[in-house]
Amino acid sequence: MAGIEELSPAAGPVETRPPEGEIDEDEDEELDETILERLWGLTEMFPDTLRSAAEVTASGSVTVAKKLYSFSRAALWVGTTSFMILVLPVVFETERLQLEQQQLQQQRQILLGPNAGMSGGMPGLMPPAPVKM
Amino acid sequence: MGNVLAASSPAPPSAPGSGVVQGGPGLVSVPPGFSMPSVPPPSVPGQPAGETGSPLPNPGTYEECHRKCKEVVPIQLEGVRLVVNKGLSNHFQVSHTVTLSTLAESGYRFGATYVGTQQTGPAESFPVMMGDMDNTGSLNAQVIHQLTSAVRSKIAIQTQQHKFVNWQCDLEYRGDDFTSAVTLGNPDVLLGSGIIVAHYLQSISPALALGGELVYHRRPGEEGAVTSLMGRYTGNNYVATLTLGGAGAHATYYHRANDQLQLGVEFEGSMRTQETAVSFGYQLDLPKANLLFKGSVDSNWVVGAVLEKKLLPLPLSLALGAFLNQKKNTFQCGVNVTVG
Repeated sequence: MAGIEELSPAAGPVETRPPEGEIDEDEDEELDETILERLWGLTEMFPDTLRSAAEVTASGSVTVAKKLYSFSRAALWVGTTSFMILVLPVVFETERLQLEQQQLQQQRQILLGPNAGMSGGMPGLMPPAPVKM
Repeated sequence: MGNVLAASSPAPPSAPGSGVVQGGPGLVSVPPGFSMPSVPPPSVPGQPAGETGSPLPNPGTYEECHRKCKEVVPIQLEGVRLVVNKGLSNHFQVSHTVTLSTLAESGYRFGATYVGTQQTGPAESFPVMMGDMDNTGSLNAQVIHQLTSAVRSKIAIQTQQHKFVNWQCDLEYRGDDFTSAVTLGNPDVLLGSGIIVAHYLQSISPALALGGELVYHRRPGEEGAVTSLMGRYTGNNYVATLTLGGAGAHATYYHRANDQLQLGVEFEGSMRTQETAVSFGYQLDLPKANLLFKGSVDSNWVVGAVLEKKLLPLPLSLALGAFLNQKKNTFQCGVNVTVG
């Protein structure tokens, strides 16, 4: 009689323990997630609004970074080529002119003494062109 | 003189406008149908406005008003061009041009200029005859002559190989304080087609000049007219010009910053294509370095510059040009060498 009572469902929870050797296999079968999936699963502890806000921020900043990178590439190219076309030749020529004038001044100094080459002695210095309207 | 083929979409046909009837200098009578600028004509003809005692200056021609700004902007050079100019005498000059280009046809062009003996000013002599012939046989010819002290006439023809493409004749009258011009373009009596352009420019004050243009074009079965008004204000070191017409608006501003730097800003809006463009140009003049540099930036993302240098001991002049379209990423450069 007591044996039948023991086996009936009303008897209460029965503690069963599988034999030792099977424990590791079962645990291994349950652990079919990779490390990354487990770490990602940890984020599920945060509330939904926080999770969605973080996701939007992250993707938004990636987009902004990409756009900024491509914009700065284009801007650098446009700036460099425009500078090259609009400003560089004049810079070259004025530098060359300065060097020439310096050289001539030095030559004059050597020829005529230290106080010779200063004012009015530079060749090629023409009076400014009259204002034409 | 004038862009004869400037007629665009026909406006409602107004009465055909011919030139302004001119009497003596200062007498302005306007034929009906000709649109005058919105300024009351001088009430006392023949007397300077305001009776300040100093007469108003002649305002120049209609086409020259935008020219100061256009000269500051560089021209796009393409390929290699060698120009040899030789003056055979005081009156006669000959030029040979060899053009090598990747985009267009390469060719040789021979040009001759004859300047006559009637001298009207320190730098002007008349008649002036210029002719230009291509290696394919295309001819450009112009004859400019000063008929009387106030009337100048010009005849120009242009052919493409043996076919006449453009033939026009124009007459310009310079009064004391106004200029009027009539141009007859491609008149064809047999077909009944042609273009008539009438210009009028009047000095309102020593700084302000107002003017108008009327273009009437006619083809068998179709005729139309376009009018436009123009105002030009000249300041101490700047010139501002505005042209408003049926074809759109065109405004230019020219500023002389110092004796080395000149700036120009140009705004163009077209009614036909509904497009606007702004361009900014500058010209840097360094006579010490024998250098002339022109640069321009456009609202169509076009950046361009032309560098002209005189290689002095020889009468040689070198021009290098580069134009870059940033948006379409196309580039064009060219070299011009001028001898003599």
